[in-house]
Amino acid sequence: MASIYNFKKIAPVPDAGDFLDIVLSKTQRKTPTVVHPGYKITRIRQFYMRKVKFTQDTFDEKLRQILEEFPVLDNVHPFYADLMNVLYDKDHYKLALGQTNTARHLIDAVAKDYVRLLKFGDSLYRCKQLKRAALGRMATIMKRQRDSLSYLEQVRQHLARLPSIDPNTRTLIVCGFPNVGKSSFMNKVTRADVDVQPYAFTTKSLFVGHMDYKYLRWQVIDTPGILDHPLEERNTIEMQSITALAHLRAAVLFFTDLSEQCGYSIADQMSLFRSIKPLFANKPTLLVISKTDVCTLDDVKPEERQLIEAAAEDGVEVAQLSSHLDTGVIETRNLACDKLLQQRVEAKLRGQQVTGVLNKINVAQPARRDTVERPPFIPDAVAKRRKYDPQDPDRMVLERDLEAAGGGAGVYSVDLNKHYLLSSDEWKHDAIPEIMDGKNVADFVDADIDERLAELEREEEKLAAEGLYDSPEESEDEEDRRIRTMAQRIRERKQIMAQEARTKNVNRATLAGKQRAIAANSNAPEDFVNHLQQLGLDSDAAQATADRVNRKRQRSESRNPAVELAKRSTSLAARAISVQRDRSAMGFRDARHKAVGDRKQVAAMRKMNTAGRAGEADRKILAKMPKHLFTGKRSNGTNDRR
Amino acid sequence: MAVRAQFENSNEIGVFSKLTNSYCLVALGGSENFYSVFESELGDVVPVVHTSIGGTRIIGRLTAGNRRGLLVPNSTTDQELQHIRNSLPDSVAIQRIEERLSALGNVIACNDYVALVHPDLDRETEEIIADVLGVEVFRQTIADNVLIGSYCALSNQGGLVHPRTSLQDQDELSSLLQVPLVAGTVNRGSDVIGAGLVVNDWSAFAGMDTTSTELSVVESIFKLQDAQPSAIVGDMRDSLIDNFS
Repeated sequence: MASIYNFKKIAPVPDAGDFLDIVLSKTQRKTPTVVHPGYKITRIRQFYMRKVKFTQDTFDEKLRQILEEFPVLDNVHPFYADLMNVLYDKDHYKLALGQTNTARHLIDAVAKDYVRLLKFGDSLYRCKQLKRAALGRMATIMKRQRDSLSYLEQVRQHLARLPSIDPNTRTLIVCGFPNVGKSSFMNKVTRADVDVQPYAFTTKSLFVGHMDYKYLRWQVIDTPGILDHPLEERNTIEMQSITALAHLRAAVLFFTDLSEQCGYSIADQMSLFRSIKPLFANKPTLLVISKTDVCTLDDVKPEERQLIEAAAEDGVEVAQLSSHLDTGVIETRNLACDKLLQQRVEAKLRGQQVTGVLNKINVAQPARRDTVERPPFIPDAVAKRRKYDPQDPDRMVLERDLEAAGGGAGVYSVDLNKHYLLSSDEWKHDAIPEIMDGKNVADFVDADIDERLAELEREEEKLAAEGLYDSPEESEDEEDRRIRTMAQRIRERKQIMAQEARTKNVNRATLAGKQRAIAANSNAPEDFVNHLQQLGLDSDAAQATADRVNRKRQRSESRNPAVELAKRSTSLAARAISVQRDRSAMGFRDARHKAVGDRKQVAAMRKMNTAGRAGEADRKILAKMPKHLFTGKRSNGTNDRR
Repeated sequence: MAVRAQFENSNEIGVFSKLTNSYCLVALGGSENFYSVFESELGDVVPVVHTSIGGTRIIGRLTAGNRRGLLVPNSTTDQELQHIRNSLPDSVAIQRIEERLSALGNVIACNDYVALVHPDLDRETEEIIADVLGVEVFRQTIADNVLIGSYCALSNQGGLVHPRTSLQDQDELSSLLQVPLVAGTVNRGSDVIGAGLVVNDWSAFAGMDTTSTELSVVESIFKLQDAQPSAIVGDMRDSLIDNFS
């Protein structure tokens, strides 16, 4: 809430001259500066229009900022509105802001006019003169705002120094005649450190101090002294007190000085109390008798005492204190705070808001659901331990102290292992590998590993004792041995075959590769025969099969091998001379086959030819003279074209 | 004793620390100031341990535990687990949990006797919680929030719950937990109680922004320094009403 009434953030208001300098230099910096008479006239016009518009924008922005930042009297809390009226005069303030707003509009109008005129500028010189005139008129308008700007700057400076009073929070207002001990009380209950002097009107404006009571923050407002005269005659200083009393919902502490050291009689003081009493309506009010070290309620004359008691009717309580002797100060404060708090709480309980906090002031007590006791667990060491005291020379050494000694944060490296709870302190800093033999050590960590190992060994011993591991008699008969040797041979043979397959390095993926493999394997039947002979088996049938297989590869079984050989030699002879062959006949088996192909070709092309369309085989020239090949300088000398 | 603390300019100290009656875990930070706040309060009573969980510093939100045990999420590395095991007394059981809701601190709120858990927690996890922490487990929400660990702080003496918890919910939770409960805030009005406050049976640590009113509510409800929960309805009632509404 308090942040709403923070007037410290208003930007300074420059005076009229500075204002002009700021705006014009910004125009100079942020717009183009070079223009030539030879430029196209539209460009020249645009150049100067931009300057005029930019200047207007800057003025507009700066003035608008002032208008937005200064508080609008109708929108702020009535306390602040009234206080500003008292301090700065509402009319004057509104007038100054109003004039600023008018200036903004005037500047906008000037800019609009001159931009329109610039559209008709027919030379650089005319355009320039129009721009000069526009800026000049804007400057004149601004210069006329000299007074209101300087006034606003003063208001700003004063506003920024106003104490930040939150009108809605818990507040105590200290008021009374001048010199009755208001500021002394303030200094006792808060740390505001208000100036206290033995003459009247030491306090010339409102002062705010803060204190804590009952877990809450309270603000205490020290007001300037007020005299007993009609409202119209009151000066600015007194009016500030009246404003505070009138608008803040607070506890009022009306201070009286029975010793009359302040220079005003008890009768005068009581008369003031009566005359400003309407301001205390609905506020907890305390009639505080100060300076009891000099004069108490018992010391005064009976008629004066009667006056006081008459004042202290209907809800006004009397408190006595001496700031000098420090008696009654806290009691008075507590009394005032309690009364205000009670009033505020009652008001809030009547309202709607309190439903939201009911659960915060309600402690839910458990209903017992079973007979289990659930006691708190507080180690005995808690009661015995000494409270940590940074001043104590034998205090515990904290990590922070070690850090400071070890070079400070970022340099000191904390020893994470030093508090380990291990069987032996020597183990604390042992390095434990994370990975060993490619395995995560943590996966094999077992708290009971020793125990389990011992158990396993015991079991093993037991089994050994029972004779489980005694090997039975070896007995191998003839049949077993035969099988074993056979198996051995089969394994060896398999290895050899695998090796052979590898050395052939056949790419089985391609057909050509397969064919090659078959070629390489063409003597497989013979191998088979050899193999059978090696084994001493009858190989005749196998030989017959091998012959048949090999023969099978020829075209015809009835062919004469001698003729074949002769044919092959003639073809070899023909190859020896380079002959140009007819390509059109290539791929055909014979002349008849070719004739069929030619006929098919003609038929396929007939359709295309009758349509007369361009095919991919047609010659074409897309661009007669490609531009990139015929423009620009030639690399070699000049061209007559240039 | 309630103390204010701050972890590297963050008031959410419950995110960076875990406090129980038999140990305290503290995140590794840039300086030792935060650690030393705990150390000076608890130093010679329970171990105060620097640790990270899965390489992060948000250990308070990732772990759940009480006097008897500590549950860590499956993101915890073997080295971190080893470090915590070495640092905590043998009486504290440590268990790494395979749970989809891996921010265990957010989904489990417990004291030494009762745990309130997120309604969607695995049944298996629920059993592990009951076994390792030795608690009764109840699936609950708090002011319609399923993240029960984030929105409350519990000890064996009392509990502070989300400020919007209704009176009926308060009574129900209080009966389950068998401790007095109050709704409240920490860190100048923050409703994430679990993040702003860590407590055990004899001490409490709250974020630096916590107001004196909030801190006195904490001291009363957790019965710290001989304060009693009755103070909330007695002495402090007016202050609370004036402060909150």
